[in-house]
Amino acid sequence: MPLIEVKGLCKSFGERVVLEDVNLEVSDGERIAIIGESGCGKSVFLRCLELLTVPDRGQILIDGQEITAKGADVDRIRRSMGMVYQKFHLFSHMNVMDNLCLAPVRLLGMTREAAEEKAMDLLSQVGLSTRANDFPEVLSGGQQQRIAICRSLMMDPKVLLFDEPTSALDPTMVGEVLAVIRMLSKRHLAMLIVTHEMSFARELADRVLFFAEHGIYEQGPPAEVFEHPKRAKTVAFIQKIKYFSFEITSRKFDLMKMQGGLLVFGEKYGMRHKRIGRLQLCCEELVYEMMAQCYAPEEPVSMQLAVSYAEADGRCEIELTCSGKEYNPFAQEEDELGVTILKKMAARLEYTYDGRSRISILL
Amino acid sequence: MSFQEQLYKVLIEGDSYRTILSGLLVTLQITAVSLLFGTLLGAGVCFLCTRKNKAVSVIAGVYIAVLRGTPVLMLLLLLYYGVFARAGFAPVVVAIMTFSLNLSAHVAELLRASAQAIDTGQVEAARTLGLGRRDAFRLVALPQILRIAKPVYQSLIVNLIQWTSVVGYISITDLTRVINNTAARTMQPFLTITVGMLLYLGLSYLVYGIFALIDRRKGVRHAAD
Ligand SMILES: Nc1ncnc2c1ncn2[C@@H]1O[C@H](COP(=O)(O)OP(=O)(O)O)[C@@H](O)[C@H]1O
Ligand SMILES: [Mg+2]
Repeated sequence: MPLIEVKGLCKSFGERVVLEDVNLEVSDGERIAIIGESGCGKSVFLRCLELLTVPDRGQILIDGQEITAKGADVDRIRRSMGMVYQKFHLFSHMNVMDNLCLAPVRLLGMTREAAEEKAMDLLSQVGLSTRANDFPEVLSGGQQQRIAICRSLMMDPKVLLFDEPTSALDPTMVGEVLAVIRMLSKRHLAMLIVTHEMSFARELADRVLFFAEHGIYEQGPPAEVFEHPKRAKTVAFIQKIKYFSFEITSRKFDLMKMQGGLLVFGEKYGMRHKRIGRLQLCCEELVYEMMAQCYAPEEPVSMQLAVSYAEADGRCEIELTCSGKEYNPFAQEEDELGVTILKKMAARLEYTYDGRSRISILL
Repeated sequence: MSFQEQLYKVLIEGDSYRTILSGLLVTLQITAVSLLFGTLLGAGVCFLCTRKNKAVSVIAGVYIAVLRGTPVLMLLLLLYYGVFARAGFAPVVVAIMTFSLNLSAHVAELLRASAQAIDTGQVEAARTLGLGRRDAFRLVALPQILRIAKPVYQSLIVNLIQWTSVVGYISITDLTRVINNTAARTMQPFLTITVGMLLYLGLSYLVYGIFALIDRRKGVRHAAD
């Protein structure tokens, strides 16, 4: 039985049709990324799942129970779903601990002690255990969003719905929230994530839904949707985001080839020369730094460089994954010269490790 | 006449202070009872005002607009000499009705505006956690509405105290009326009215003091948590 089943969902606001005959099945533990132009109904779709917006027609079943049925126990069905909003919406009159404990104590009959213990465990997983007594207003956006995620997890949901969880954040805080969502992917938890972070969607999702024309216009595994989109609008949307990738398998790799590739890539999509130069410099410094630190002299090297460039808004993101030992170049006591250069040029730096080092840099 | 003699005349002679105190008590009575009823009624009107039923919400809206847009003295006279002219209610009862009605409109409007100012996303967040409509309102919306409304509510109370000074028009001997009488009797208007003003001022500060005390208590609880 699918965890979520949507059948013939329709929603209009007055004359304006937003969703028309949307059908979807989500299996237990499945991770789905939802992408699409803004205003195409992604938020309305998520809100319908929670019945925050009441659909005009269609059925929605959560774990076998129909939330859209007349007389359905909506409050109970909602317990198995969590929702994380663009603007966090932490309860502003409560401190962090009360935010987390409110629902489980009231609804699941947890004792306050048990709830607090669970809350502390979650908070320490997201690196915020010292913030339990703070009020939301003193926390940064990234911290608030991490706590909002914990608040949802307190109810042990089977699925989490994310509506652009990083869109309201300062670029410097996007990374910490994505890292938490990435960490969740190790739990057995289904996720539907509306996002504009394409490389994140690609890396995390089992399936990508592209919304257009009042519904799911095209869907498939990320590699398929991002690299071989089939339908015209998907192609147009995806092609606004260009990719360049380069494989490094030896210490004596062809640097000139990499730099040449980046130059051709940048020129093809109309990046300014100064920007291309910075892109090349960043890639070079990053590759050499990681090669020097992660691998012993004779160890085989395996690194993948991926650059994505969004024509629409000029976002350029570098992602490097490499095997070898765990090493976060941005968290050393004293920065190497290369790292200093990277820090100067990047709008955002992020390091994660899950068997392989993964570095993401927003230029 | 020396200042002491004047003071003696105004406050002490013929147990003047007792008369003044009884006037003060009447003012306090009307204020306190009107505050209670007015607040409850105002909450009710606000509830009606936010109903989906158009007829109900329009009627509540008109109620608020009319009562907030007309002088409370007019309402007092209308009720006393018009609506309840033959009902035989004691003047104090009519005064309490008047101020309750008037205050209820202000409270309803205050609560409506405060409810609009809160972040509805937080209420939705509570609902998606599984909290019912009532719980979400009581635990998330209400505390925030009250927090927003508090400073204005405080000045509504202070205004209410001052509005009650017109009850002399329907022959209630409140603080203002007593002061007025005393001034005439002692022929010391300057000193007597100053005393009256100081008493009103004291009442206002009493209100602020009570609110500050409540805040302090809460603050202590927060710190202890
Ligand atoms: N409550 C509402 N009333 C009227 N129109 C709405 C409402 N909510 C959303 N819409 C419309 O529905 C469309 C889809 O909105 P939304 O789902 O928020 O888009 P997005 O894909 O950017 O999340 C938009 O055109 C929006 O104007
Ligand atoms: Mg949206």
